[in-house]
Amino acid sequence: MADDKDVLRDVWFGKIPACFTLSPEETTEREAEPYYLLLPRVSYLTLVTDKVKKHFLKVMKAEDVEEMWFEYEGTPLKWHYPIGVLFDLHASNTALPWNVSVHFKNFPEQDLLHCLSNSVIEAHFMSCIKEADALKHKSQVINDMQKKDHKQLWMGLQNDKFDQFWAMNRKLMEYPSEEGGFRYIPFRIYQVFVHLFILYSHCCSMKLH
Amino acid sequence: MAGEKNSASCYLDERTFRLCCQLFLQHSETIQDGWSWEQIKGTDEGFMKKTVLTPVKSSLLHKQHGCFMQAENMDLLTDDIQANVEDETAGVQAACEIHAVLRYEYHVLYSCSYQIPVLYFRASTLDGNPLSLEEVWSNVHPNYRQRLQQGPWDTLTQQEHPLLGQPFFMLHPCRTEEFMKPALDLAQAENKRVNYIVTWLSVVGPVVGLDVPLSYCTEVSAPD
Repeated sequence: MADDKDVLRDVWFGKIPACFTLSPEETTEREAEPYYLLLPRVSYLTLVTDKVKKHFLKVMKAEDVEEMWFEYEGTPLKWHYPIGVLFDLHASNTALPWNVSVHFKNFPEQDLLHCLSNSVIEAHFMSCIKEADALKHKSQVINDMQKKDHKQLWMGLQNDKFDQFWAMNRKLMEYPSEEGGFRYIPFRIYQVFVHLFILYSHCCSMKLH
Repeated sequence: MAGEKNSASCYLDERTFRLCCQLFLQHSETIQDGWSWEQIKGTDEGFMKKTVLTPVKSSLLHKQHGCFMQAENMDLLTDDIQANVEDETAGVQAACEIHAVLRYEYHVLYSCSYQIPVLYFRASTLDGNPLSLEEVWSNVHPNYRQRLQQGPWDTLTQQEHPLLGQPFFMLHPCRTEEFMKPALDLAQAENKRVNYIVTWLSVVGPVVGLDVPLSYCTEVSAPD
């Protein structure tokens, strides 16, 4: 896979410039300035937007602040989809930066999962990895890895550390040649209404052999 | 299908899943247990579904969810509760303040990735307010809570329903093999075939408040 390193790095370091604006529905003590941020495609909204939250909290009263959630053109954004997937699904045809609205109340219970701590994101991420490996290796590789290896995989993503992540991820990318390759190639199709997109989720940023 | 070579396979292929569900549903119909099959329009995918109204102490609910029954909701109650409420000499209003009614919706789906069934559910008050994870946890019987907490991926987590796209709670399927294997091995040793769904649901269901009457075990056959 040495010759693929450039591709792997390009995928990992892909970014989307975003502009976060507080929703006009929110109550503020004074006007809120928009906040600009480069979002990593491979990560999750709730993992990389602490600064956004801090920024808007400065102009809000504590009692007006509940769980933060994001919306684009009226559609609540599912934090549990990788950022790159969200952008490609909702806004790929529009000009950059990606204009996202920030909310702190009226959490849309029917549409969004709650995300009250990073451990929720970690559990979701590991659950996706596990499911992918169930398809690829009948879960052999993920189950043979130790807890600290799983932790390293997660920390690599959380802290944006390519080498730390790939030190573990490469184990999930190897296949036993005696069995002629991966059992199945896991990929996930994300649909929005009638539009069908075939996308590689970040945990499947693998090349097909 | 169970029963090959030395030990039974814990995995369920999709066709067998459907056959087991069909047999399960037939019995449900017989005993009026409330299960139905939901087909996704325009696809050949579907799942089993059951809705249950269950009384709980209102103190378990978040204050915002104060769902006290009005007189007009009385006919939604089970016979038991209604009888108790009617017995209250203090009057219907006072009795209503002790109980609240929650709506639990259980779905049995097939997971292609793991090749096993998975249980999804959601809970809300009668006026549609969904329960949080904490509230759902507090309704899990104490006997089961420890078991549920044993592994980060084995707990009750909020997930997107694979077919409906909405937030549901899910019991992670990792540990399915652990409890299905002994049951399937035993059945094979005794030359019996089991209905995978009946065996599986009778283990996972009660953990999240879903009752699976004993008659399923005796009356539902395994698929051919």
